[in-house]
Amino acid sequence: MQTNNKFSLLINQLLDAPSSDPDDARRRKILNVILVFVASLTLFVIIAVSIVGIIRGSSTPDTPIIYLVCVALLVGTALLYVLNRVVAGWVASALFLLFLMVVFVFSDTPDQLVDGRSLFVFTIPIIMASMLLRPSYSFAFAALIVLEMYIVINMNALPLRVNPVAIAVFFMVASISWLSSRTLENALRDLRIINAELDQRVIDRTRELSESLTREAAQASQREAILNSIADGVVVFDKKGTAIVANPSLTSLTGKSQNEIVGREVTNLINSEELPLKQRGDISEFFSQPGKVPTFRVNWGRKTLSVNAAEVRDGNGQSMGTVAVFRDVTREAELERMKDTFVAVVSHELRTPLNAILGFAEMIKETVYGPVNDNQRKASVRIMDNTNRLLSIVSELLDQAQIQSGRMKINFVSCKPADLLTDLQETMEKIAENKGIKLDTELDQEMPETLIGDPQRLQQIMINLTNNAIKFSGQGDKVHVSIRPQGKKNWQIQVEDTGEGIPEESIGLVFETFRQVEGSATRKHGGVGLGLSIVKQLAELMGGTVTVKSQVGTGSVFTVSLPLISQ
Amino acid sequence: MNILALIIEDDQDLSEIFSQALNAAGFETEIIGDGQVAAERLQQIVPAIVILDMHIPHVSGNILLKQIRADERLNKIRVVVATADAQMGENMRGQADLVLIKPISFTQLRDLTSRFHPQR
Repeated sequence: MQTNNKFSLLINQLLDAPSSDPDDARRRKILNVILVFVASLTLFVIIAVSIVGIIRGSSTPDTPIIYLVCVALLVGTALLYVLNRVVAGWVASALFLLFLMVVFVFSDTPDQLVDGRSLFVFTIPIIMASMLLRPSYSFAFAALIVLEMYIVINMNALPLRVNPVAIAVFFMVASISWLSSRTLENALRDLRIINAELDQRVIDRTRELSESLTREAAQASQREAILNSIADGVVVFDKKGTAIVANPSLTSLTGKSQNEIVGREVTNLINSEELPLKQRGDISEFFSQPGKVPTFRVNWGRKTLSVNAAEVRDGNGQSMGTVAVFRDVTREAELERMKDTFVAVVSHELRTPLNAILGFAEMIKETVYGPVNDNQRKASVRIMDNTNRLLSIVSELLDQAQIQSGRMKINFVSCKPADLLTDLQETMEKIAENKGIKLDTELDQEMPETLIGDPQRLQQIMINLTNNAIKFSGQGDKVHVSIRPQGKKNWQIQVEDTGEGIPEESIGLVFETFRQVEGSATRKHGGVGLGLSIVKQLAELMGGTVTVKSQVGTGSVFTVSLPLISQ
Repeated sequence: MNILALIIEDDQDLSEIFSQALNAAGFETEIIGDGQVAAERLQQIVPAIVILDMHIPHVSGNILLKQIRADERLNKIRVVVATADAQMGENMRGQADLVLIKPISFTQLRDLTSRFHPQR
């Protein structure tokens, strides 16, 4: 096979003629093929004549002439071959064809040549001309043939004229050759153009592909560099819940190696002795519904981590999996804990001297240290009032700190709604009266006599709401506090006032911590803005809700709904 | 005969207020600001009423209360717990005769303790 290949390669090398013009190269190759063919034929003739001569034992008188012609032919083809390869194809071709025409002239008798059996041989150079030179040269050679015939007739003084039918046939053959050669050449040219375009396209595509591959590789390495350098732990799970990517930060946060995370399920990541059992369950549940729960914290060994998960979607919005981010919030958690402790301690430490101020002012008023005049008595009352205000602020701060740190406990005991209202009336009546506000309470008859709840916290809710109502009402306004069932499963505390009301744009903010509607109101009404926030948080701790409806100039209605647990 | 009230409170100002309130309620008062000293003093005297702060040095109010309740000799003492911690106050209700959450007002203490005075 390989030998065969080498042989055909050699043959091709012999036949190919180097040329920048593909048409020229093709024509030269055809000429080479013909020359080789003629040379082979000549050699064959020499061998055949030699063998016949040897067999017969004697040579005919023609034998030397045949040898001479054959040698001449061999020399001629060799010359033409060299000419074709080295000088120019068209020169070799033209010489070859002329040579052919001359050979044909001597191949038969003159009369047979111009008007007999050998007429057809002259079609050969015509056809060849269209192949070896240009398609249109077939006409030139047809004309040359006619001229040659004319010369032959004249030189031999034949009583003939050039056969008109032969002329017509020559030109017809020329036309057909011209047409077919031209068609072939056009087809080849089209093919070459198509090939060239195809090549270009392949080159273009290859370049584009390599460019995009380079670009993607660059992007991928960029992404990897970013992922590797961020401080947050990142892990990506595919749709089946198998981790496909995990960055080094995750490894250092969780103490799990890459091999323990990547290619495995989420349970493998969270199956850590450092993580409390309950939180493992929380995390796997969290990952099963990414985006549903905003962010939550876990205690991972000595670290506090915040965990966040989101669904990964492709360009078409199809889910591809989940990405989870673990952030080390140990420092933040510690600061929050310190803040809570600080607030609790400070609140506690504030109460003792405030208690002393309150007590001494009261003792002056109660004439423990001797008689006081009316102004001195009033001054003592002012000291007491302001101390009480300070004390309530401190209480609110302490409650807030307790709620936020999760240390606020609800003690569910049996309690009487009627007592709640009576206590409220007793505590708040005087404060309302001082501002010229009428405070009344109402207990719905459908309410059970006793229910299960935390009286201290329920009282706090009612006091805070009533305080708020009084704060934002003025002379002649009314505050109405009611307790009634709400459906079969709930009951509600409602505090209505006819005060100034809350602007619509601020109504969503009233339950926020340290918030009072409008900056000016803060100055006007005092307080730190914790009362309603505590109401909301306490209501939620008891499994309830608080809502507000309000209209500026008409008043506000706060409703706390709580689950009804009766005895 | 004078009826004795023992005030166990380490803050001098508060103990002054408590003392004045109990005086007004008809008691003779003695003030101790240290848990250890109070425990020793209770070996010698039997007050009618004890005002007990929870946060005192050396021996906590909680332990003092347990000691009082465990001592047959002291079983008639009325114990009034004074604490700033509402939660702790709730927890003490079963053991104390009365729990007051700070701030404690002069009149409040005077009026409430006067009910415990044996001669009224």
